Amino acid sequence: MNAKKLALLLVFGCVLAPVSQAQIKHIEMRVEGMT
Amino acid sequence: MKQHLGRQSGVQTVEVSLIDGKVDVTPKEDGRIDPVQLLKATYDSGVSVAEMDMTARGKIVKDASGNLALQIEPNQSFAMTPNNLSSGLESLAGSATMVTVRGQLYKKSREKKKPEASVPLKLLILEVQKKE
Repeated sequence: MNAKKLALLLVFGCVLAPVSQAQIKHIEMRVEGMT
Repeated sequence: MKQHLGRQSGVQTVEVSLIDGKVDVTPKEDGRIDPVQLLKATYDSGVSVAEMDMTARGKIVKDASGNLALQIEPNQSFAMTPNNLSSGLESLAGSATMVTVRGQLYKKSREKKKPEASVPLKLLILEVQKKE
């Protein structure tokens, strides 16, 4: 039973970990002199 | 320029709009992207950057001088230019709360033609999108 709970915890952890990551999501630049 | 930027570390896609003079850079999901390098790479490709905005998720910390900063990674953080929005984030300094913000990292000044690579970019918060 405990092993099952632990397995579930690991699965949820793997799913949620990337979501909680800090990161630069997007960069936008306004540029001049582009042809 | 698109290829030049696309070769930078951590870059997933680069979208260029010739009409608007806009360049959108999407980082890789797990990649680390360096805005200073992007700025430099853009100049190296012969284009002048007027403004650079960033959307990022991270923690609010205080640096050694007590200034607020957005920490993305232990070795990557951006000091904030104080404004009303950054003041509202002060209470979160040092907490585990993650914030998603949009801010201006660079704006071309009238005098300077090329940004100094040695000068760290400061983040002027334009919008706080999420606190969690």
